[in-house]
Formats: sequence, structure tokens, C-alpha cells
Amino acid sequence: MNTHNFSDPSGRRMIATSGAQERPCVGRLSTAGVTDPGYNLPIFRISLFANRIVPADHPGVTDYVDAFTKQICEVIVGKNQAVKLAVACLLARGHLLIEDIPGVGKTTLSQALARSLALAFQRIQFTSDLLPADILGNSIFDRGEQRFVFHRGPLFSQVVLIDEVNRATAKTQSALLEAMEEHQISIDGTTYELPEPFFVIATQNPQHQVGTFPLPESQLDRFLMRIELGVPDRASERAMLLGMDRREMLKELKPVFNPETLLEIQDSVRKVHASSALLDYLQDLLDASRQRHTTGLSPRAGLALLHASQAWALMNGRDMVLPEDIQAVAIAVMAHRLGHDIEQPGQSGRTLADNLLHSVPVP
Amino acid sequence: MFGTLATWIPSFFLLTLAMKFWMEPKGYRLRSAIWKLVLAAVTLAAIFFSYGSLKGIEPGVSVLVVLMSLKILEAHTAREFQVMVMIAWVLCLCGFFLSQDLVIALCLLAAVVLLLVALVQFHGPAAAGSPGSFWSPVGVTCKLLAQAAPLVVLLFLLFPRINTGFRFEIRDLSSAASGFSDRLSPGSIASLTNSSDIAFRAEFPDRKTRPPGPMYWRGVVMWHCEGMEWRAPYARGSSEPGPAQRGALPVQAPGDKAIRQRITIAPHGAHWMFALDRPFEVPPKAILARGNYLWSVQPIRKVRRYEVVSSPEVTGKDLQPRERKEALEVPASISPAVRELAQSWIAQNSNPRAIVNSALQFFRTQRFRYSLSPGEYKKNDLDQFLFHRRVGFCEHYATSFATLMRLAGIPARVVVGYLGGEYNDLGRFFLVRQADTHAWCEVWFPDSGWTRLDPTSAVAPGRASLDLNSFLARRVASGEIEARRSAFVTQLTQSAIFTNIRLAWEAVNYEWDTRVLGFDADVQESLLASVGISSSGPFLLITETLGIAAALLVIYAGWMQLRTRPRVDRVKALYERFCRKAARFGVRRNPWEGPSDFSRRAAKLLPDESERIQKISNTYIALRYSPKSPALVLNKFAKEVNAFAAHRR
Repeated sequence: MNTHNFSDPSGRRMIATSGAQERPCVGRLSTAGVTDPGYNLPIFRISLFANRIVPADHPGVTDYVDAFTKQICEVIVGKNQAVKLAVACLLARGHLLIEDIPGVGKTTLSQALARSLALAFQRIQFTSDLLPADILGNSIFDRGEQRFVFHRGPLFSQVVLIDEVNRATAKTQSALLEAMEEHQISIDGTTYELPEPFFVIATQNPQHQVGTFPLPESQLDRFLMRIELGVPDRASERAMLLGMDRREMLKELKPVFNPETLLEIQDSVRKVHASSALLDYLQDLLDASRQRHTTGLSPRAGLALLHASQAWALMNGRDMVLPEDIQAVAIAVMAHRLGHDIEQPGQSGRTLADNLLHSVPVP
Repeated sequence: MFGTLATWIPSFFLLTLAMKFWMEPKGYRLRSAIWKLVLAAVTLAAIFFSYGSLKGIEPGVSVLVVLMSLKILEAHTAREFQVMVMIAWVLCLCGFFLSQDLVIALCLLAAVVLLLVALVQFHGPAAAGSPGSFWSPVGVTCKLLAQAAPLVVLLFLLFPRINTGFRFEIRDLSSAASGFSDRLSPGSIASLTNSSDIAFRAEFPDRKTRPPGPMYWRGVVMWHCEGMEWRAPYARGSSEPGPAQRGALPVQAPGDKAIRQRITIAPHGAHWMFALDRPFEVPPKAILARGNYLWSVQPIRKVRRYEVVSSPEVTGKDLQPRERKEALEVPASISPAVRELAQSWIAQNSNPRAIVNSALQFFRTQRFRYSLSPGEYKKNDLDQFLFHRRVGFCEHYATSFATLMRLAGIPARVVVGYLGGEYNDLGRFFLVRQADTHAWCEVWFPDSGWTRLDPTSAVAPGRASLDLNSFLARRVASGEIEARRSAFVTQLTQSAIFTNIRLAWEAVNYEWDTRVLGFDADVQESLLASVGISSSGPFLLITETLGIAAALLVIYAGWMQLRTRPRVDRVKALYERFCRKAARFGVRRNPWEGPSDFSRRAAKLLPDESERIQKISNTYIALRYSPKSPALVLNKFAKEVNAFAAHRR
């Protein structure tokens, strides 16, 4: 698939209309600028970004994100929280790992994300006999030109869906490392830049299933979040059963962002203010994890937590991060990083992260 | 303005500046090394020929100015610009070598500030593109200067005044000397009447009003008579007054009539110091010379402030035989007619007081005139003055009267000093100018000792109770003498506004002279002693200064640190108080609970307080987590926390 076939000049206009039509949406987040009458002080405000990203006649950044979230929620019914986390992960420039049993909509979610972003999309099905060259690309001798020509693999894309990432061997899994962290691929001494934005969504089956190779910690640490979808509740499942075929729905999805807007929103995420009091809290969490667990959270995990909570705050229409934002994303960010503690084998990463949150006071 | 600099030096500077404005747009510059060398050599030679030397303050400053001018022609790069600013700062410093007047100081301050503005603007963000605005660099400069001000004050107060060893001979004595000299010749005082230079200023710290009677400020006592010219008994330039100069110190304190004066003397390059007639308590670093006048050990080359106590009463009635002999000496060249005049008075009545009265009567009745321009007299023209021309100024009357007294066998001497002074209401001081210079006589009576006699008052009654300018103004008004200035100028200078401005300016100048220039090593030492620092040398003082400066900086840094800290802590403390209050009503915040979660829960549990809870937590969030926490809200936050659940008790 060609990377740049979405450079439609009317992209923004299209987004604007879709955003205007669909309000108020179901999964609407608290975006109202809450002004306090007594202090005359706007406490939640978007003004920081309002002029820069969006045309003046358009509502704020949050409306883009709302429309985006809502569109995905229509496809993945009854999983609003998971969808919001997935969006936050995307906005924070992180890679997403979806872990669940087959058939709960992992692939559908990742496809919905890719299509709603108007990004180049590639899907790779991992199997136990997959080799690094199959995903990165090959140098093949061209007879006509009398030289080796590099043929780009499926990883050269903006959104890469890696299905059942833990079915491949460690060798293939580690081929992803450089791509995910550095956004580049080095083969035969040549370094190829990956397109921006670059977003990996991987799905994996729970590790007790037959024929899986657990992801190494270094690999796991590169995923900003791990989310679980789980089976939908009864009402949502009924809605799904009654509704349109998911494959049809995916085909009809219209992009809500063009890539440039996404990049700008990703920039604004990094500008959401984290006060020193908040950073105190974040570091308290990191310290506590290092005291309780043999490995604890890495500095990269600390950055991941910060960026994810910044994205969460932006999605909630704030220009500052609150401890609640950290708590909202903490389990998704920390669980897969803490799940390897050999001293507490019985505990899942989720439980460990939850315990951590409930033991560190908000300063 | 340019003081003693040769006129062509500042002109040369302005010329090069104008040249630069012409050259710069055209891209011309002084590039050739040979031309630079030639110009430098020519100008240095010119300086040498102007002053006759390259040594000394004026030639040194001139060299700086000239080289700076050449640098302007040459300069092009940023580095050269900065070098020029630095040199200009040094030049500002040099300005103080030439003059320490308040006017000069203000001009130099303006120059320093503008140089700093130029530097700020040069380095400012606007430097790359447009010339930029003027006021924003000025703002930055003012901020910088305000930050530097405490350091300036500290250095002013504490930096050691070096009095010995390393010292500039700023000017040679002859050019610094102003006012009268130790030689009183006819016309020497009259020539001073146009001078508006300040001689000294005097305060009376103990009394609210001026002392009664005319104020005769004693300067120097002349003993050597040469007819109409009198001299103080030692040659000029000899710094040692010698033991013979020491007069008999008055024994008893003259009691309640003593007048304490605080005098700020302008530098005049000679040794004498002034005090009301007659001083008996001597300030430090001065002695009482023979004739009861103050004699400074060091020549007075800078502003000096001292306290002295005078008594109007005559003290010490003895006259040593040697002194008596000296006080009767007259030159042999006195004409017989004059001798006869004196003899005729003795023949009438040999009582000294009667002789004095006859002499005064002589001046009063023989149509003598008091005039600023009495014409020229030689020192032997006594009979000319007494019998023919009969026009004179105070020195003519004083010298001739004293000479006549000596001829009549009465010990006499001439005192030169000042008479009167202008009172400044704002500064509460008397300002005495060189124009107020006056000469009078003292004669010795066996019963009362040395007694002051002012023959001028016999000729010009009223002069003694007024300063010279007022006296002349009155005389002009009554048509007795011709005005020296045009009527318009006279009117202008005597108008109320002009007078008030002048008095205010003089008062400011006085403060400058006493508090800034007069802050010398002694004042500094006493100031330091009063706060408990006893200095034992300039280098220790420098160390102490640096120590205090460092301590102040540390305190300042600590304060800046603290100023940001406790605000957050106070916000936190207030929020914790709010949480404790809430806990009292059963809504306990979990330690891991964020403020927004907690407020939602608490509002649900305490519905009647929900609005306030919302308000408190929103404010808390804004203060704690938002990028710009507004400072004003903190007090309202405190009020709100206090009001929370207040009525529930």
C-alpha cells in the first residue's frame, strides 16, 4: 500500500463536518471548560492549543479526539475504557499490545484505529516459522540492473498490526526492537527511516495457550500499554449480534484525522503541563515499584507513564496532568512491566500494579 | 564642563563622531595601518604640546579621549564595539579625576546608563534585525542597575578609602588654590567679589538661629606689614607652621556663649580652615596657629568636614614681648606724611582707645568711599590712598588702618576671612562664597587683649550685617553705586522662583558634598565603629566587604529559593486541612486518592457542601497542577477552606 495516498487537501474540512454532525456523542468525555464562578478562573482549559492546531472556526483538539474515539466505540461495542486507552496510547506515540483470547475483537480494534486515522496500514500474521526478513524486507538480485535491490517488507507502514505476536520465535520478535524504539530499520548496513507516525499494534494470546513464545522483557517494555478487551457484557453483545457485520463497518469507516493533524496532536500531548507536585507522585510510584519488586519500573516506564497520562489529560480537555490521569493509565502501562516478578509468581501484573497504586499516597 | 582639558580634545572627539556618521553608511573606515599610526602619533604630539608633558591627569585623560576617537573611526566589528563601551566606562571614571561636582556626577551617571543601554540593545533579541525599540533595553538596564544598587551602596559604605601611599596628585597646588592667599595686597579681595565659588558651608547644630551679631569667619592672620600689603608670617608652600606659629591655647572654656559649628570646606589647596571669630576647640588633624586661627596639618585638597567651637569672647590677654615687637613692626618705606598723621593722634590723646577712635573718625569724616573697583594701588601707595584717592575696598581699609595703628604704637594685625553668608532654609546651613571674603583688623589693648576692629564698617556702615551681594543690591537700589549687571538679570536673579531653585540646588549640592564626597576614611571608620566593626587596615576591610557581599548574596539566593517553596507547601497544608475537616464528617480521603476523585466522592456524600467542595478542589488543582498557578487565589483558597463546613460544628 502506498504511504501517501491520503494527502487529500480537503481532509480537514471532512473532519470538521464529521465532528460537527456527530456531537453529542456517546463516549463523550468531560470536555466542557469548567469555569468556577467564585474565582472566575478557568480551571480546565484547552486554550493552550486552540489557536495552533485547529482552524479558528473549529472546536478544540478534544473534539477531534472525541470524534475519533466515538467512531471506534461504534465498532467495538461496550469497551469504551479499552478504546480510550488505545487512543491515549496512540496519541502518546506509544505502541499498543492487546492481550486476550481469540475472538473478542483485537484485530477489529486495530483495524478500526488504522482506518480512522487515514494512515497506511499493514497486517502481519506472526507464526512460529516467520523470519525477520519476512517482516523487514529482502535484498534481491536484480538481473536487469546487475545489483541487489532492497524490497521493503510489511513493517514499512504507518500502522502495523502484528497479529499473535507471541506465536513467532524470539528471533523474529527481536527484529521488531529497533523498528519500535528508533523508528528505523537497519539491514545490510543500511538504515531505513520508517514513516511517521509509526504505530505498532500487536495482539497476543494469553501465554498459557499452546504454541506461544512469551515476549522478552525488553520487547514488552517497548509497548507503552498492554490492554485487555475481555468479553462484552450481555447488552453490548446483543447490540453486536443485531448490528451490521463488523467487516462491512470497517470498510465504511471514514478517516477522522489526516496524518499531519495526528502529528500535531501528538506534539500537543507532550506540552501538557506536569507540575512538580505531579512529578513527585510519579516518582513515588516508580520508587515504590523498585522497592517492592526485584526489577521494578524502568526509567522508560516512567516516561511511558508520564506520556500516557499527558495524553489522557488532553483527552479529558485539560492542559495539566492530575494524579487521576496517572491512575487511569497506570494499570495499562505498568501491568505488563511488573508481571515478570519471579518473587511473586502467583500474582498477575494487573494485581501488582493495582496494589502499587493503592499503596502510594498522592502527595 | 570640560574643565581643564584642552579645548581641542572634546572638539576632536565630536568631529570623529560626526565623521563616523558620515562614513558608516558609505562603508568607509580607517583601514590602513600606516594612517592609524600617523594619526595616533600626530594626536599624541599635539597633546604633548598642549600640556607640555604626557604625565598627569589631564594629559592622561586626553590620550584616552583621543585614542577613543581614533577607535571610533576604525571600529567595525562587534568586538570593537564592546571594547569602545568599556573604554567609555573608563572615561566616565576619569571624569571624576577632573571634577567631583554633583553636575558632573549626574552627567557621568547618565553616560554610564546610556552605555549600558547600548550594550543591552546590542546584545538584545532585536540586534539581529531592526535597530529595535529604545525603551525595552532601558527597562532591562534599569532592572540591572536596580539589582546592582545594593552592591553599590555596600561598596560605597565599606570599600576602604585609601589615604596613604597610592595617591593621585590630582592637580598641582597653584591651580587648586582658590580664594585668598597668604599675601594680602590691595585689590586681591576686590578681585574675588565676582566669584560665585563656594568657600565653605556652615551649620550650627546646637542652635536654631544664627548667632547674634555679624558673622566674622576667621581665616588667616597676617603679621608682616609692608605698607598696604600684608603677609602671613611664613612663606607659602612651607607645610610646617613651626613652633613659633603656635599661639597660646585658651585655657578656660568660654561657657554658654560657645558656638558649635559644623563646617564643610571646599578644597582650596592651602592650610587654613575657617571658624567663627574665635575658635578655641580644635578639630582633629588641625592646630591653632599663632593668632588663634585654625591650621590644617595637610593642605585641604578635597572636601573636608569638621566641627569646631568658637567663642565671641576674647580669650588670652597676654602679649609676649617678642610678639609685641612683631606686632609693631612697620617698614621703613612709610612716607613721613603718614607717620605724621599717626603722631598727631598720639599728640591728641595717648590712650590707645582714643587713638583708635581718632583713626576711625578720620576714615569717617575724610570722605572715604567704599568701592569694588578702587583702582590700582602699590604697596607703598599708603599716602596716595589716605590723602588723595580715598577710594578702597575692605583690604585697603584693613591694611592701612592696621599700619596706622602700628605707627601709633598700638600692636595690630590683619585678619583675612569671610563675612556673613547666605542662609539656606532647605538645608539649614549658611553658604559662604569667595565673594564674601573680607579683611579686618585686630588691635591689642592692655586691658582687653586682641580686639576686633573693622574699619570698613566706618566707611560702609551696614556691610557687616549683610553678605556682600545683598549689601551691594541694597546700595544699587538706593542709587549709591552703579549696578554691575543689567536690570533684567538683577531682577531675574532676585525673583522668588529663581532664588528658591538656587537654594534647593545648593542644598542638594551640600548633601552631595557632605554625605558622598565627605564620606572619607574617618567618617567610615566611625560609622563602622558604631556598628561594632573595628577595622585594622584596608586589606582587612576589603576582605570584610567581600565577606558581607557574599553573605548578602547567599541570603538573597536563599530568599529566592524560599519564596517559591512555601507557597506550594501552604497550598498543601490548606488542602490537608480541608481533608481533615471532611474526615470529621465521615468522608475520609484515601491516601492514594487524587483531588478530583475525592471531591466527586465527597460531594456525593456531603451534598449540601458539594458546591464548596467542588470549588475548593478546583482551586487546589489549579494551584497545584496547572502551568501558571495564579498567586492571587491563594488567600481566597484559604478563606474557602476556612469557610468549609464552618456552620456544621
